[in-house]
Amino acid sequence: MENGFIILFGLTMLYLAATSRIISHVRILIVQGVLLFLICLCGYKHTPLLNLAFLTVETLIVKSIVIPWFLYRILKKTHANRDVEANIPHFYCLVIASVILLGGFLVSNYFISSMKMISPLYFGVSAATIIISLWLITIKHKIISNVIEFITMENGIFLLSLSVAKEMPMLVNLGVLLDVFIAVYILGLFVNEINKEFNDLEVSHLSELKDYE
Amino acid sequence: MINSILIFPIIAGILMLLVRKRFFDNLMLNIYAILHFVITLFLVFDKGARITIPYFAVDGTNKVFLLILSFVFLMVTIYNNGYSKHLPTFNNIRIKDKKICLYWLMTMAFVLSMTGTVLSTNLGLAWVLVEATTLTSAYLIYFNRTKSAIEAAWKYVFICSIGIALAFVGIIFLNISTGDVNTMSYSELYRYAASFDPLWLKLAFVFMVFGFGAKMGLAPVHFWLPDAHSESPSPISALLSATLLNSAFLVIVRVFKIMNIAQCDDYARLILLVMGFLSLFVTAVFVYHIKNYKRMLAYSSIENMGILAIGTAMGGAAYYAVILHLIGHSLAKASFFLTSGNVLELFDTKRIKSISGLMNADGKTGWLWVASFLAICAFPTSVLFISEFIMIKEMILDHYYVLCALFVFLLTVVLYGIGRAVVKMTFGEISADKAPLLEENKKKITISMYIPQFVMLIAVFTLGIYVPRFLQGVINAAIGGF
Repeated sequence: MENGFIILFGLTMLYLAATSRIISHVRILIVQGVLLFLICLCGYKHTPLLNLAFLTVETLIVKSIVIPWFLYRILKKTHANRDVEANIPHFYCLVIASVILLGGFLVSNYFISSMKMISPLYFGVSAATIIISLWLITIKHKIISNVIEFITMENGIFLLSLSVAKEMPMLVNLGVLLDVFIAVYILGLFVNEINKEFNDLEVSHLSELKDYE
Repeated sequence: MINSILIFPIIAGILMLLVRKRFFDNLMLNIYAILHFVITLFLVFDKGARITIPYFAVDGTNKVFLLILSFVFLMVTIYNNGYSKHLPTFNNIRIKDKKICLYWLMTMAFVLSMTGTVLSTNLGLAWVLVEATTLTSAYLIYFNRTKSAIEAAWKYVFICSIGIALAFVGIIFLNISTGDVNTMSYSELYRYAASFDPLWLKLAFVFMVFGFGAKMGLAPVHFWLPDAHSESPSPISALLSATLLNSAFLVIVRVFKIMNIAQCDDYARLILLVMGFLSLFVTAVFVYHIKNYKRMLAYSSIENMGILAIGTAMGGAAYYAVILHLIGHSLAKASFFLTSGNVLELFDTKRIKSISGLMNADGKTGWLWVASFLAICAFPTSVLFISEFIMIKEMILDHYYVLCALFVFLLTVVLYGIGRAVVKMTFGEISADKAPLLEENKKKITISMYIPQFVMLIAVFTLGIYVPRFLQGVINAAIGGF
């Protein structure tokens, strides 16, 4: 059950790589949030109630309701719907993302399986998610897509932290959640400001500051 | 004692949000700066440290960082008193009075998060607070509301957030390497470091040094730094350069000590050495053709962070040099950035080409500009001279002749690049059409915009010949932190 959710999580990254409509990227964020919640539920049967409550708030409320809703509002305001001119055609995107995902599985199975503490599947999927997100950030042209990929990267890191059996202190968890949330909020505000200032959300506008003229 | 540094700004911030008057906000910031400095002095002299609170403490390592932070913050606040009078019309864009009050509030929050980073005894918490510094300073970088300011702020938040996210991956890897020990507090990590799994620890160090290194401004992850430093208001540039980079460096030092105890330090030293030399190289390449003097100062910060990384990698007597360099760079660079604020007020441009005759336009600013340059380029008796001298000596004693030659060569190129720009700006004649504008702008510069630089430069040039005994003790304690 748990493994199924993790594999589904990995597949959402493939979907993200293969689609260009930004609204469906936001929907993918909702799916990822729910999947993370389910993974938490499966893996944390023996956790104390407080911790479980915190994880629920983090995954279900923040990751799959608040952040997508906020992004959706920005999308409506800025009228950005497609990230058409990605540098690489979608088919190749899909192939490269699949290769990274496969690489994640293989590497984690060969090298991690000796460690008792971490499960290879968790590790492989989360590492692949982080790498795919970073790679997508470099090829997308709209800054709002960059924000979305930043969030998927954070989701990957969250999954990675679940893969370690030990827990961080509650204070740190809370702080991380708060920071990520505020970072997304600030990035969202900047998306609005950039839209106002440049009338567009293309990354290429942000190249004024340089040393050579 | 510690809790009052951390709690006062929260209460003051709530009051500032309620009142929203410029005078009140400025007053609160001043009170906080003085309180911060007084309490820091108490803490440094080990008075009143008996009351302990969880997660925050003063130890040998962070004392010197706290002292620098507090002193620079006090000086910047004094400068701010004069600077902030003209804030609404800065860059000819009127900012609403309600919005402008956020300037002081965010400055306070920024200093609070840096203080928290410096004082925290837990790696996880330090991560949270380093990210908090990004978020609080983003508003300040965007403060001027220009197109380039928004570009700088966007790059800053995005690059630093990704960097810090990768640092969190490093923390997770560190957590894996700790085996059965479940802790993130530094003292516990140091105690059990010898038993950590070396492979995961090395992997963790790479991620952390890149993540926190992005915040510290080490090449090749320095790209946000010149943009952010050049676009933010000058007092904020001074704070960014002189205190924020140090806070990130402190976290790297803490992690480096874990590597040291776990006997993986050869590997860590290699990474720091490569990144340090890369920073010097990047600065040497870019500073040569620089067009904007605030960007030039930002590149100089990258260079000095590179020197700190190299010194940490060298080890031995170079640790002493690193701490001296840290102190010297923070004071000299803060003074340089604050003076650049004066130059910007006078000439209303950041282009080096459009500025000449600074000495004739405003003698005091001109002299401060030259003295800051001499301090940063390690002219004796600047304390940076001593630190760089010790580092070069250490390289020769360890038979790294090629590295030493490269180090000296790159420093000379940087010195030439900065020197050329400074000489071009300082001397020469003022063009006749600019004279009335300069006379008008000169009235904006009040006495409080000269004193902080003067005090900091005196400190830099004095420390080169005489280090007071208490500071010697603080430096020696900090060396134990590597």
